[in-house]
Amino acid sequence: MSRLEAKKPPLFISELLTKDTACQLLLLLSRIFKSSYGPAGRLKQLHSGVGGCVCTTSQSSALLRHLSISNAMFRVLTASVQNHVSRFSDCGLFTAILCCGLIESFRSLNVASCTVIKITRHLLSWCMDYLKSEACGCRVSVDFSSIETLACLVRSVLTSKPACMLNKTEVEHLTMLVLKAFLFTVPCHVETNAVLGKCVIVPVKGRRVMDSTVLPGLLIETPEIHLGTPLAVKRTGSNMIKIAVFCVSLSGDSFSPEEGTIAVHHGISLEMSELNQLLNVGKQLVNDEVSLVVCQKVIHPSLKQYLKENHVMAVDRAGLSQMEPLSRMTGSKPIASIHLLSPGCYGSLKDVSIERVASKHFVHLIPEDTVICSLILCNRTETAWDELKGVCETAEHVLQLTMKEPVALLGGGCTETHLASYIRHKSSSLSTSTFKDLGCSQTQYQLVADGFCRSLESVARSLNRDGGEILTDVVYGHCWFVPSGFLSVSNWSDVVSKCGCGINGNTEDLGWRILEGQSCSPVIQGCPKEPSVKVTDFLTLDCFAAKCSGLQVALETANLILDLSYIIEDQN
Amino acid sequence: LPMAFRGVNARRHIGLQQLSSLASAGRTFLGPVKSHKFIVDESTNQSTLICSAVRLLESLDLTSAAGQLLNETIQAQNKEFKTGMSTLLFLVGAWSSAVVECLQQNVPISAIVSVMSEGLNSCCERVQCLQISIHDVKKELCSSRVRPNAFECRAHQVGCDSLLNPQDLLCFQERISAPEVIPESSCSHQGDDCHFNKGLVSPLVAFGSAASLVKPAGDRSSSVIPRSGVSTSGCIKQKLTHSRYFSTLGKNHFSSQQGNFWGHSLRPSADPCECCDLGHLAMALSHGNRTGIKLLQSIVAYQQERAECSGSSQLNITEIVTCPLLGLPESCSCVSRGFVTLVSPEQAAVIKQFKDKPLRILLVDGDLTEQYRHLGFNRPHNVRTILEHPNLEGGRAGDTWLSRMLDILVGFEVSLVLVKGSVCKNLRDRCTASRILVVGPVPQDVLCAFGEVTGAQPVTYLSQLNPSCVGNGAQAGLWEASDGRAMDLGELVPVQINVRGIPLLTAVLTTAVASKVQLLEDQFWTSVYRLHHALEDGKVFPGGGAVELLCLSHIQVLTEQPVRPAKAGKEFPSPWLAAPVAEYKPLVLQALASGWKRYLSVVMCNMAKALSELEACALVDHHLRKAADSGSPSAYILELFRRGDLLGSGSGPFADHNEGLRVYDNVAAKTEAWRRALDLVLLVLQTDAEIITGPRRNELLNSPMSSEFMFL
Repeated sequence: MSRLEAKKPPLFISELLTKDTACQLLLLLSRIFKSSYGPAGRLKQLHSGVGGCVCTTSQSSALLRHLSISNAMFRVLTASVQNHVSRFSDCGLFTAILCCGLIESFRSLNVASCTVIKITRHLLSWCMDYLKSEACGCRVSVDFSSIETLACLVRSVLTSKPACMLNKTEVEHLTMLVLKAFLFTVPCHVETNAVLGKCVIVPVKGRRVMDSTVLPGLLIETPEIHLGTPLAVKRTGSNMIKIAVFCVSLSGDSFSPEEGTIAVHHGISLEMSELNQLLNVGKQLVNDEVSLVVCQKVIHPSLKQYLKENHVMAVDRAGLSQMEPLSRMTGSKPIASIHLLSPGCYGSLKDVSIERVASKHFVHLIPEDTVICSLILCNRTETAWDELKGVCETAEHVLQLTMKEPVALLGGGCTETHLASYIRHKSSSLSTSTFKDLGCSQTQYQLVADGFCRSLESVARSLNRDGGEILTDVVYGHCWFVPSGFLSVSNWSDVVSKCGCGINGNTEDLGWRILEGQSCSPVIQGCPKEPSVKVTDFLTLDCFAAKCSGLQVALETANLILDLSYIIEDQN
Repeated sequence: LPMAFRGVNARRHIGLQQLSSLASAGRTFLGPVKSHKFIVDESTNQSTLICSAVRLLESLDLTSAAGQLLNETIQAQNKEFKTGMSTLLFLVGAWSSAVVECLQQNVPISAIVSVMSEGLNSCCERVQCLQISIHDVKKELCSSRVRPNAFECRAHQVGCDSLLNPQDLLCFQERISAPEVIPESSCSHQGDDCHFNKGLVSPLVAFGSAASLVKPAGDRSSSVIPRSGVSTSGCIKQKLTHSRYFSTLGKNHFSSQQGNFWGHSLRPSADPCECCDLGHLAMALSHGNRTGIKLLQSIVAYQQERAECSGSSQLNITEIVTCPLLGLPESCSCVSRGFVTLVSPEQAAVIKQFKDKPLRILLVDGDLTEQYRHLGFNRPHNVRTILEHPNLEGGRAGDTWLSRMLDILVGFEVSLVLVKGSVCKNLRDRCTASRILVVGPVPQDVLCAFGEVTGAQPVTYLSQLNPSCVGNGAQAGLWEASDGRAMDLGELVPVQINVRGIPLLTAVLTTAVASKVQLLEDQFWTSVYRLHHALEDGKVFPGGGAVELLCLSHIQVLTEQPVRPAKAGKEFPSPWLAAPVAEYKPLVLQALASGWKRYLSVVMCNMAKALSELEACALVDHHLRKAADSGSPSAYILELFRRGDLLGSGSGPFADHNEGLRVYDNVAAKTEAWRRALDLVLLVLQTDAEIITGPRRNELLNSPMSSEFMFL
C-alpha cells in the first residue's frame, strides 16, 4: 500500500535584495572573496569540523567548491563565477569581488534596475572597446620570442596564492618549470590547425619544491619495478617500441554486468573462462610483437606473468588522466574491449626507462616527437601541494590563453584603477543624445557610472592588508600602496616606491590621491596616459582573456541578480 | 550542504594558540636525554609508553583544523626522514607563541611572514658553512677513536697499499714525516683562527694538502670546503677502504662468516681498528640510543663488506628488517642474517626436521586465502550457481580448494612459502601437517630479497605456479640468542630463514618489557634513517647545538643590517608584499631567534646541563657574545664543537663511554624540519577564517560555540 502526501505549495519570495539575511550574506561573501585576494590574501581553512583533511586556500575554485549557499540568488553568483573559472582558470576572485561590489553599489541607488542595466551595458562596451584597442594604456603586448613577459605572467600567478608557501628561489624555479612545460606542449612542426599538447601533473607530496622537474613524455607510477633490474624491451625493425594501450580493465572481472543475474552451472568457473580469454589476448599481443602493454586499470596477475615470460613489459593502473595524452603521444587507439584487438590499435614509442623521484618509481614513456610532458610537482605538505597544483594549472592555462591573444593586462590593481579613471573621464563628457538613447537622465548616468568605477576600484582596494592605504595617480591612473603608519605624511612622493604592477616608479610628481570607497565628488581628471617606458621584466601581469571575461561575467551576473524580483522555491 | 563560517580574531589568533598548546606536550622529547611518557586511555585504563613526537600525535585529539595541519606536517616529515619530528614539533610551538607575541605588539601579518621566511632562508644559507662532508667526518671520527694506535694502523695500512701499488711508498714516507697529530686538547691553547684545522686533520691525512677540510670561514663566505681538497680526499678514501677490508684480518673475517653459515648473529667487533668508520658515524648521529646503535654498527659492517664486492657505499635500507622479540633481556638484541620471524611450535617442529636441507621456496605476493582476489578485481554479486546433480559424497567447497592448493604445493615439491598478506589458518595447518612451512605476513622487501637470490618469481595465486616460479636453496632453522637460550618464549618460536648470499639482515630486538617493543623499534629505525640520510646528503652538521647557535648569531647580524632599499626594476614580489619591514624587522627577527633559543635551553634542561631555562639562556647568550667578539662566529662555534665544549657536551651521557665522541646532526632533515615548522606557523597565521562544511554544522548551531560562527 502506498501513501500519498499532499503537495506543499511553492514558496514565493520577493524583495530579494532588501532582506536582512540577503544583505548579511552578500557582505559575508564579499568579505570572504576580498580578504582572499592577492599575494597577501588571507587564507581560509575549509574542513568538516570532525577531523580529516583540511583545505587551506585562497583560490576561488577551491572556495566555491566548498561554499554551499542556500540562497538561490547567490547560487547564481557562485555558479557564474565557477563557470568563468572552469573556462579561464584565472581571475575568479576578481570576478566575484567585482560582482558583489556592483550589486552592493547598485541596489542602494534609487534608479530602476532596467535603467541601471542599460547604463552598465553601455559602460561595459566602452571598457571592452578600450581594452581591445591599441591605445589602451593598461595592456602590454606579449613577445613570444623572449621569455621575460611570459615569465612575468607565470610569476604573477604563482605569487598570487600565499598558501603555496613558496620562497623567492622556489618561485623562480617553478616559473621556469611551468614555462618549460608549456614550451613542450607547443608542436614543433605546425600544420594548418595546430593543437597544443598537454602537461600532466605528477604528484609527489612531502618533498621540497626544488625537487620538482619537467620531463618530456609520460610517467606512470609502478611500485613493483625496481631500479636494479635493467629494462629489456623488444624493438621493431625501425628501432621503435610497439605499444598497446587498454582502457578496459584486464583484471578478469568483466563478466559481471551492471544489472541482471547470471546463472551458471556448478563446476563452471566464470573466472577461469574470463582468464582464458585474457590469456588469448596475451597470446595475440605476443604474436603481434607488442613489447609494451599499458592498461588504464588492472591487469590480471596471470596475464602479467604470461606477458613477462614472453618478454612483454606490462604496466597497469595508468589512470584515466593518462589515457588521452598517452594515445595522442603514441598514436595508439585505447582498446576498449578484449574482443576487438586489431593491429591498427597499436602505437609506437622511442624509448622506455625507469625514473625514481623521491621514494616513487615511474616508468617513463619517451616518444619520438612529443607535445606531451609531465610536470613532477613537489611540495612539502598535502595542503600546500593541492594549492600549488591549482596554481600551476592556472599558469599553464594562462599561457595557452595568452598564446591565442598575445596581450596581457597590468596587474596589481593598476588595470582596475586605470579603467575606472578612463570611464570617469569618458562619462564626464557625454552628449545629451546619449542619455536620450539610453533613456536616462544625466544624474542617473553619473550615479551608475560612479558606482561602476567604485566597484572596479574596490577590487584594487581589496589588495590592501594590515591597514595600509591605496592611492591612485592622476597621470597614469595606476594603483599605489602605502603601508600603515604613514598616513600623516603630507607628501605622498616620500612614501610610495612603485605602482602595483611595477611599471611606474616614483620618479616625478604624479599627483597621488587616496582611493576612497565613498567618493561623492570624483576628481575631474584627464584621460589616463600610457606609461612612457615599458619595462618588461618583473612586472605583475594578468591574463587578458580571463580578465576581460571576468569583467563581462561580473557585470552580466550583477545585472541578472538586480533584475530578479521573485524566487519561487519548490518545497516538495 | 550546510556551512558555518568563523572569523579568526587577529590579535589572539586561536589557531596559533592551538598549535603552541599541542606542541608543548612534546618538549621532553628534545635532545639526547628524552623522558618517556605514559599515555593513559581513561576509558580502557590501558597505557602506552611513548618517546617520540609521532607517537605523541597519534594519541592527541587533533580534530581542530590547526591540529590536523600539525599532524599532516609531522607525518610528512616522518615519511620523508623518519627523524627531526620532535624538533619540528617543538619549533612549531615556540614559533607560534613568538608570533602571537608579535601580533599583540601590532606587527602586521605581512611583515611577520616576509621577515620570518626570509630570515629562515638566510639562516639556512648561513649554516651551510658548518657542513662537514661525510668523508671528512669519517676520518675525523677515526682519528679521534683510533688515536692510541694510530701509528700502527697507518703502518699496517701503508704496508698493504704498497703491496698493491709500489708508488705509494713515496706517500708512505711523506706520511711518516708528516707532523704528528696534535692532541685535540692542545688546540684550545693556540688561540688563533686557524688552529682547529689541525684538530680536524686525522693522522691518516696529515700530509700534503690535506689541511683543506675546514678553513676558518670568513663570516661572509658560505662554502668552506675548497674543491681542491676533494680530489685528495677521494684518493685517500680508496686507500683507506683497501687497507681496511682487504687486510688479512678483514679477509679472514669475511670468509669465516661465509664458512660459518649458521653463525647467526653478527657482532660489532671490540677492536676499534676493525670497526668501520660508518659505525662511528652512526654512533655520532644516534645521540645516545645505545642498543639500536650496536645493531646498526654490525649491519653497517656487514653491508660494507658486501659493498666491497658490489662497489656501493650507501646504507641499503631495503635489506634491513626488524623482528621484535618479547621475553628476552635487551642485551640479547642482535643482527641475524636472513629473515627472522615468529612461527607456531608446530611449524617450529617442522623446521627442526628440515635440518640443513636446501628447501624449495615459493613467494606469494597476495593473501593465501580462498576468498582473496588481486587488487582491482571486483567480485561479481549477480552470479548464481546452479547445482543440477547434488553430489552428497563430495566435501564442502572449501575443502576442495584446500586440497587443490596443497596438491599444487606438493606437486612442485615446495617446502617453504613466504606470503606477503595473510594466510588461511586451515591451509597453514594442513601445510604444516604435510611438512610445508607457510610464513606470513612477510614484508615486500623480504620477498624481493629472497626472489633475487633464489630465483623464485612471486605469484599472486598458486594456480599461476610453473617450475620457473619456484626458487631453490633456502634454509630454515630455529633462531638462537647469543647465549643459546631462545626456545622458551611460549606460544611463538623465532626461526631464521636464510639463503646463501642473501643480503637481507634482520635486527632482532629483544626486550623483556612489552611496552618497550614499539619504542625500541622506533629508535632503531631512527638510527638507521639518520645514517641513511647522512650518507645520502653526503654531509652532516656538527651537533650539540652548533647549528642553532650559528643561526642565533646570524640573526644578530641580520638585525643590525639596514633594510636594503628595493633595487629599481629588479625586485620581485610587488609592493603588495613589501610591508614596512624596517620598523618591525628587529622584533620579528627576535621572534624567529626565540625559537632556536628556547630549543637550545630546553635541550640543556632536559640533559640537566642547566637547572633552569633562564640559566640555559644565559649560557647561550654568553656564547653568542663571545662568538660575536671573536669576529668569526662560525669559526668560534666550530672550535667549541671540536673542543667538545658546546652547550650540552663535555660530560654528557656518553662521558663514561668515550670522552672524545662527537655528535652530528642530519643536514636535510634538520633544515627541512625548520622550514616545515615555520611554513605551518605562517600558514596558520595567514588564515583569517574557518569554513566548516558538512553535518557538523548543526552540532555547532546548538553548541555554546555557536556565537563564534555565522551560519549560511
